Amino acid sequence: MWKNIYLWLDERIGFNDLYKNLLDRPEPKTNWWNTLGSASLFLFILQGLTGIFLTVYYTPSPDHAYDSITYIMEGVAFGWLIRGIHHWGATLMVLVVFIHMLRVFYTASFKYPRELTWLIGIGLFLTTLGMGFTGYLLPWNQKAYWATTVGTQIAGTVPFVGEFILKALRGGPELSALTLQRFFAAHIWIIPAVLAALIGIHLYLIIKHGESHSPTKED
Amino acid sequence: MNDETKKQINERYEKQLNKGERFWPDTIFRDLIMSVGIFVLLILLATFIGIPAEPKADPSDTSYIPRPEWYFLFLFKFLALYGQLPLIGKIEWLATVLIPTLALGLLTLLPFIERSPHRHYSKRVLPISIMTVMVVGIILLTMTSEVPTVAEDGSTLLGTLQTISGIVIPVVAYILFFVFKNNTRLMLWTTGLAATAMIILSGTVLALAPEKEAEETVVATTLTDQITAGQDLYSIHCTECHGDDGSIAIIEGVEGLEGEKITPINSRDVLYTITDASMIELIAYGRPNAGMPPFGKTYGGELSKSEIDYIVAFMRYLWDDRFEAPVIKPLFPPLADGEVPSYDVHIQPIVKRYCISCHRPGKDNNNYLMTTYEEILTTGDHAEFNIIAGDENSYLLQTIQEKIILDENGEEIIGVMPPTKALKPDVVDVFLRWIMNGMPQTAADAATLSTTPSP
Repeated sequence: MWKNIYLWLDERIGFNDLYKNLLDRPEPKTNWWNTLGSASLFLFILQGLTGIFLTVYYTPSPDHAYDSITYIMEGVAFGWLIRGIHHWGATLMVLVVFIHMLRVFYTASFKYPRELTWLIGIGLFLTTLGMGFTGYLLPWNQKAYWATTVGTQIAGTVPFVGEFILKALRGGPELSALTLQRFFAAHIWIIPAVLAALIGIHLYLIIKHGESHSPTKED
Repeated sequence: MNDETKKQINERYEKQLNKGERFWPDTIFRDLIMSVGIFVLLILLATFIGIPAEPKADPSDTSYIPRPEWYFLFLFKFLALYGQLPLIGKIEWLATVLIPTLALGLLTLLPFIERSPHRHYSKRVLPISIMTVMVVGIILLTMTSEVPTVAEDGSTLLGTLQTISGIVIPVVAYILFFVFKNNTRLMLWTTGLAATAMIILSGTVLALAPEKEAEETVVATTLTDQITAGQDLYSIHCTECHGDDGSIAIIEGVEGLEGEKITPINSRDVLYTITDASMIELIAYGRPNAGMPPFGKTYGGELSKSEIDYIVAFMRYLWDDRFEAPVIKPLFPPLADGEVPSYDVHIQPIVKRYCISCHRPGKDNNNYLMTTYEEILTTGDHAEFNIIAGDENSYLLQTIQEKIILDENGEEIIGVMPPTKALKPDVVDVFLRWIMNGMPQTAADAATLSTTPSP
């Protein structure tokens, strides 16, 4: 019975091809620094899962955001753990992605044939920062409110278009309910969608070219 | 890059693959260990460090020092230091836009800027040097981000040191890199010296930095904490007019509002018809025409958004009969026979609830302030009589037991305390035992004075 199901699926999916193309690939000798990319992916998935749990109780409005977070921390079973992981995961993700980028820089892994992987990687780095920036406002506490105030202010100093950027980010001249709403939308829909798409391309390129080897004297 | 080089690179990679490992299981195994390690670390951080509680966002609180997320702190610090530079410091967008954009642009286009096919460290000294100075700078700026650039006494020493370490040295190093372009030894020396100098300077800055006082903001997270915090705030700010249970209909003994008729705020008329949101606005804005001053910081009062929320939670859960109050901790742990109360455990919460409302700066109280242990013992027009260790005639003990203090001419100098409603016997007992036993401050001091009664 199970065998029949397996054979039926195998006929249509081709487990063997999957195994050959994805898993059974040769790699150069790797070391612990090479694990940071997959660690970033792991953190992204973890942030996604914990984030989905958080949206069940979170309310993106200035009147209720703070209270809904308090409820997650105090009222929901293991809410503190889920939010704790999401909070520290964000910090760690920025750190891991940054160190991963430094590793790629120092080993010059961005050179031929992996230039495009580097470009996509920069996109991933920026979107990760964007996730951090938009997520920081959501608890609607003092720290969040004022950090976003200064953050958007800096964007407002751009010559000519600064005021437009500032208003587009805040949804008006001041931080308001609109700001929270659009940061929420950016944090759970727009940026994750971009991030996921970029991760897909990044992974495809890595499988296509293989991981780079640590540079030797010959390189 | 010509096809010949590309072919060489691909051949070298093939050779490395032949000496290498399999993605499954070798590479994946190490990746999994890393991910599991990170997962465990996250659970530990969430469990043992958690997330520090923060008060609710309060746009009117202009005293709050805004700070960005930690990973933007280096940029924030850089901007602050840049602003101190002569001349160009005034052109803000140079630092906020041009320099970050330039740095990011160089980083993005790196594969097209660093076009040599060489990958080994010894053949990439220039880019590695530039990046290393940059990373050291970012880390140090992040670490010193809390240190002010101008000290309280107006000295700019710290600011100057930070500017040298954060801007001057990196810029000098970058110029030298291009001067020494063809000499890797000199470039490495420059990197090493610049990084060392930056680390030493930042270390000095951190050592010289004024000790940062830990700010204490009370953030009540559980409902019972919120209700207790609300009750304390209510007794400080509201009791004078509304009474400790909100039942007062005619104000007595408040200067300027004597005899004013008000609606008892613990009545259904108020609690059933005014929503939380209106109540919050009402407390924040007050009722200036009816004599109620504004309490919210937005309108010049003393209370933050969170604090007003706590007061409303207190009113709802203790007065509104549609709400069921959770079990609330008693104000102070009840005393056993022979036990001596301490300031920290017993007196402080009692004073906060019943006395501070008037006995704080700016109120009519014979200059007797009660906000700290020292103040309770040493302030007031009658400081030497207020509290006398072991003396039942201490003014404080007399007045809370409803005795008026008269001067030699028989004139009243201090009335009964609290003026409107007598303290409960168990509270009076706490004061009695405290003063009779020499006013211990800490629980440990009090414990040494306590006696266990013989059965």
